[in-house]
Amino acid sequence: MSVEVEVNENDLAEMVEQVWESYLDPEGINPLIPTYDENQPSEVHSSVSISGSWTGHIVYACSIEAARRAAAAFLAMEPDEVSQEDLSDVLGELANIVGGNVKAMLPPGAFLSLPQVVLAPESTARFPNTERISGVYGIWDGEPVSISMWHSRADNNQEDGA
Amino acid sequence: MKILIADDSRVMRQIVVRTMRQAGFGDHDLIEASNGREAFDMAKAENPDLILSDWNMPEMTGIELLRQLRASGSDVKFGFVTSESTPEMKDQAQAAGALFFIVKPFSAERFDEVFAPILG
Repeated sequence: MSVEVEVNENDLAEMVEQVWESYLDPEGINPLIPTYDENQPSEVHSSVSISGSWTGHIVYACSIEAARRAAAAFLAMEPDEVSQEDLSDVLGELANIVGGNVKAMLPPGAFLSLPQVVLAPESTARFPNTERISGVYGIWDGEPVSISMWHSRADNNQEDGA
Repeated sequence: MKILIADDSRVMRQIVVRTMRQAGFGDHDLIEASNGREAFDMAKAENPDLILSDWNMPEMTGIELLRQLRASGSDVKFGFVTSESTPEMKDQAQAAGALFFIVKPFSAERFDEVFAPILG
């Protein structure tokens, strides 16, 4: 039986804030401004999966422009110098960092996957038997960015199949 | 000193290198490996003084890398720079002989705090 998740929206927001402080907005001039809109659009996304003591996914989704700016900030270059490889790598790293921090708050025995990057909207992703349990949705420098947590209900299969 | 940075993420290797420079350790010879297997081979070939390793990597994980190094007789200084950090991982790292555990996202200040005693 899987345990109840112990990571709430405030925890997720705190992790996201650390990423902004460390990499995306070290000078504190462009924070992620909350919109609380879980249906805001995206053009690209990345995810990591967690299995073991908790099963689910952490998804980072944003516009291409937000991904380009994130890559520029991570790699200390101008947004127009960012290649598609830069953009993909940075998107993967963003999901990995948030996922790793989420994992640290879970009970022992959770395993983190390597990140998956998809240069298509989050709405194209399908995580079977999952529900979104928490998320941080915002606008960064005018561009949509969201980080959400999806819990797998795989442990419900026993009930379903009984 | 020669420092080997092992991380499968090219972006994170660049950030580690940049943060090393920001923390004042840019004069050291910084070399890179993109997975644990490559890091093991480089550690044997290049004899680094210090290894900074990610935990979760393809081919060979960071903890497997550390254990194989120790099993092969290497006592190179070794620490983790990883987005994952649980008490069980820290225990495993310490038991295997790791000196430090830096969690991503990290700052230049954190690097300074950890590396100043090691690198002088």
